[in-house]
Amino acid sequence: MGPATVLLLPGVLLGLCFGDSLFPSRHFVFQSGQEGRALGGWRLPLSLELLEEAEDLSLLGSESLRDLLELEPECRELLAAFTNSSVKLTGCLVRSARPVRLCQNCYRQFREINDQLENITRAVGNTSESSKCAKSLLMSDRLQIVVILSKFFNDTWEKANCANCLKNNSEGLSNSTVMFLALFNASLTCFEHNLQEQEGSLVNNYTQVCKNCSVTYKNLNALYKRMQESKQQHDAEEQSHLCIDVEDAMNITRRLWSRTFNCSVPFSDTVSVAAVSSFILFLPVIFYLSSFLHSKQKKRILILPKRIQSTTSLVNIQEKCH
Amino acid sequence: MSNVATKVSWSGREREEAEGETTPLLNGTGAAAASASKPRQLTPSSSASRLGHLSDVYLDEDSELEMDAPCSLPHEIPHSEKLLSLKYESLDYDNCENQLFLEEERRNHTAFRTVEIRRWVICALIGIFTGLVACFIDILVERLAGLKYKVVKGNIDKFTETGGLSFSLLLWAALNAAVVMVGSTIVAFVEPVAAGSGIPQIKCYLNGVKIPHVVRLKTLVVKVCGVILSVVGGLAVGKEGPMIHSGAVIAAGISQGRSTSLKRDFKIFEYFRRDTEKRDFVSAGAAAGVSAAFGAPVGGVLFSLEEGASFWNQFLTWRIFFASMISTFTLNSILSIYHGNPWDLSSPGLINFGRFDTEKMGYTIQEIPIFIFMGVVGGILGATFNALNYWLTMFRIRYIHRPCLQVLEAMLVGAVTAAVGFVMIYSSQDCQPLQGNRVTYPLQLFCADGEYNSMATAFFNTPEKSVVSLFHDPPGTYNPMTLGMFTLVYFFLACWTYGLTVSAGVFIPSLLIGAAWGRLFGISLSYITSGWIWADPGKYALMGAAAQLGGIVRMTLSLTVIMMEATGNVTYGFPIMLVLMTAKIVGDYFVEGLYDMHIQLQSVPFLHWEAPVTSHSLTAREVMSTPVTCLRQVEKVGTVVDILSSSSSNHNGFPVVESVSNGSQSLGLRGLILRSQLIVLLKHKVFVERTSLSLVHRRLKLKDFRDAYPRFPPIQSIHVSQDERECMMDLTEFMNPSPYTVPQEASLPRVFKLFRALGLRHLVVVDNHNQVVGLVTRKDLARYRLGKEGLEELSLAQT
Repeated sequence: MGPATVLLLPGVLLGLCFGDSLFPSRHFVFQSGQEGRALGGWRLPLSLELLEEAEDLSLLGSESLRDLLELEPECRELLAAFTNSSVKLTGCLVRSARPVRLCQNCYRQFREINDQLENITRAVGNTSESSKCAKSLLMSDRLQIVVILSKFFNDTWEKANCANCLKNNSEGLSNSTVMFLALFNASLTCFEHNLQEQEGSLVNNYTQVCKNCSVTYKNLNALYKRMQESKQQHDAEEQSHLCIDVEDAMNITRRLWSRTFNCSVPFSDTVSVAAVSSFILFLPVIFYLSSFLHSKQKKRILILPKRIQSTTSLVNIQEKCH
Repeated sequence: MSNVATKVSWSGREREEAEGETTPLLNGTGAAAASASKPRQLTPSSSASRLGHLSDVYLDEDSELEMDAPCSLPHEIPHSEKLLSLKYESLDYDNCENQLFLEEERRNHTAFRTVEIRRWVICALIGIFTGLVACFIDILVERLAGLKYKVVKGNIDKFTETGGLSFSLLLWAALNAAVVMVGSTIVAFVEPVAAGSGIPQIKCYLNGVKIPHVVRLKTLVVKVCGVILSVVGGLAVGKEGPMIHSGAVIAAGISQGRSTSLKRDFKIFEYFRRDTEKRDFVSAGAAAGVSAAFGAPVGGVLFSLEEGASFWNQFLTWRIFFASMISTFTLNSILSIYHGNPWDLSSPGLINFGRFDTEKMGYTIQEIPIFIFMGVVGGILGATFNALNYWLTMFRIRYIHRPCLQVLEAMLVGAVTAAVGFVMIYSSQDCQPLQGNRVTYPLQLFCADGEYNSMATAFFNTPEKSVVSLFHDPPGTYNPMTLGMFTLVYFFLACWTYGLTVSAGVFIPSLLIGAAWGRLFGISLSYITSGWIWADPGKYALMGAAAQLGGIVRMTLSLTVIMMEATGNVTYGFPIMLVLMTAKIVGDYFVEGLYDMHIQLQSVPFLHWEAPVTSHSLTAREVMSTPVTCLRQVEKVGTVVDILSSSSSNHNGFPVVESVSNGSQSLGLRGLILRSQLIVLLKHKVFVERTSLSLVHRRLKLKDFRDAYPRFPPIQSIHVSQDERECMMDLTEFMNPSPYTVPQEASLPRVFKLFRALGLRHLVVVDNHNQVVGLVTRKDLARYRLGKEGLEELSLAQT
């Protein structure tokens, strides 16, 4: 505390001096503020906290300095609210990273942070007071951390394609998503149920699961495909994804089904495929052979040109005659 | 006299009538006619005395082709590349400055001012219509192919679960074969000239060879339908080459302001009904076609310059560029409307290679030798491709010449392509996780749920889409085994497919082969150097594609620019240029380019830029055809008709000589008249007697000649009565009074240069007394070719 105050002193003193001075012109005060910041800059960052500590010194002129460095109280409130909700959203996002439950868990927080951001920006043009807030929070320095954060949240949201499984104004999960999640849970329960039964039998194959859960799994798969198709019809863009929750849930289930349980064993009829394809591949051979043997070779009738028969010509015209 | 009359055989006349002809004529021209029958084959006595050993040739007054040769029997040989077909004729690029032309020029000199404006309007129209046709092809291919793949995919998905995949294979093969059958049938039976990419044909046309039917409306329709069907039919073909032909046909049609096939004459652009003007517009159309196909306007102009136009001037460049730009613009705007974002004009050509990000995919100096090596590989592979295709095409010309066999062959290729693709997909173990719908038709087959078969992205797709995915899919999408197998199989499939009787281009298959081995090369490069060289597979795929295409078609300048424009990346200009250069040099060492090869196999009398280098010892006397069938300035109608209808001398240009002979050697050359002009004259019965009796109501104008262009009626369709046969025709007014001539001693390269640079059709060889000795035509010059054992001479043949 001690050295910090000392560090702070020159700036405060400077402010004091100028406050006392005979010509308290705005211009000079501003300059001094700049200088003070610069002076503080090479020692330690002149943090707001320290300034708050310095408040109780209640020196003359500290008011004007704090006015310059400090946010307006309304703006501070806005910032605090934004901080709060971004903490909440970040926590939620990271907590539901694996297995992915982003959209279902965090849509409220996401809506909140959007509201907060809107609160900050909305006022731009409304009153001078709040426009000041937007200005100081959103565009008064190079870093613009609020903008970065909100951009990050929005990008994440867009990348996860969450809008796809929410209702139009993101007030809840859409019907198809709810249905999908219900089916997903049902199939997971089914897997679990059957695996437990199997544990007793000690046989390490999953025929039981495959047999009992195939209906649920197929329903789930079919629903997913339907959702995909309707999505594709909806927007004709090249890259269209379903929301990440649904995609991930489906991926997990599919991997379990076909990799772990090995349930989807496709019928491979190599013999008949080989037979048919070799038959087709054999057809051209017959075709070319038969056309070579039976088709009459096309002959060209030579026409002899009307020309002087030159003996000196280096071109051997006689060649054509035999 | 009677001898001549009986020799003549043409459909309208009987032998008995001919005998009646021997009666002397009453109108006083009998004497002239009697003498006129003789000197049709003019042989100046001076030259005959000098070339004493030739005199026997000239003794026979009716000397026909078969008679004057030592080996008299017409014998047959199998088709080979060393032939020139009689089927092909020259175009008339030489402006005929006869009196009619001069009169017209004098009469309406104001009309010539608007000609330039009309040229620009035509170029704009060419661009618009070419763009529209490209849109039509693109949209229809996308729709139909989408439908086909959806059906097959549904079938495969169904049978993967229940078994019986062989039915899917059969379905796929049958669908392919059926679609290809339709496409091939219309080409083989309706318009065989629409087969192939059309680039060789357009190249010949712009060189001055009249390929029958090549710029007809019917050809365009067959070409467009054919290309749609062959791409939908799953053949290893692209739709870009045919776009060039389509553009050329559109250009030829629009610039004439009428369609002879539809018998509609819009009475516009009549001034342009000449071969010279049409040629310029056809090169604009070819450029517009390229520009629509690749979204490369500059590339289109350069393509026209490099591959197409044998005749060029600076004014043409700017106009052609205009047509190309309009064509790209039209395509973009229509496609943007089709894709649902109207007025966004950024959708490029038919094939969109996608953007290559320069920052991510730059290249370094170390990579230059690698690129050059890829060029070498491309050249060798391209030469192999061409050599294989050469043998195949030769076989096809010799044995598979009946239309039904051709259709059958195309169907078989379609079915085999499907079967091979299916087997490859079936046996592939390369599964990749699905990410969104980057893959258009993901086939799961034996992969786990949520994964797709990587081989299927290459085979189970239209070739254009496969090229794009090879360029742009992130590293690790294809495993090396898949790429290797794909390259090998597709190489042979593409080689087999090119030259079938379907309309289809070779651009996309070559790019696809190249992209596949290029990507493989990139992957193995970073594998061998264990990551020391980070080779982005997409970049190497692009270089491989350039190398392969360059090795096959041997284009340099235009291909570089096309690749640059199609990828929207100027940075790659240098490596692409290096790759193409190397590929061309290496490829040319082995065999020539695919298009030149096909031109040769078609026995087209194509004139290259220069005469063969070792031909200076040949003179015009050895090159020319002789004796020449000449006409007099005032000629008897009967004689003209006989000459024109004689089956053995289907000549097209006839030197016109003085009609009154004073002495033995005064029949000097006065002009040149074309068969087409003679036919128009006969049709309008412009005879001296009729004019003097004022039976002819109006004078013949240049317009009458233009109206008959380009399909002049055959001589058989013109009826000339017995009385008329005895009339006289005065050709002075209509002939070209100043044909180009060369002395007998001129060397072949000199003759060649004159002929080639001026785009001539006939070049008269005269002696010192301006008497006609011989005539040099395109076939006389084109038959000399530099072969492996020095200078070779090609034979003429009836095909």
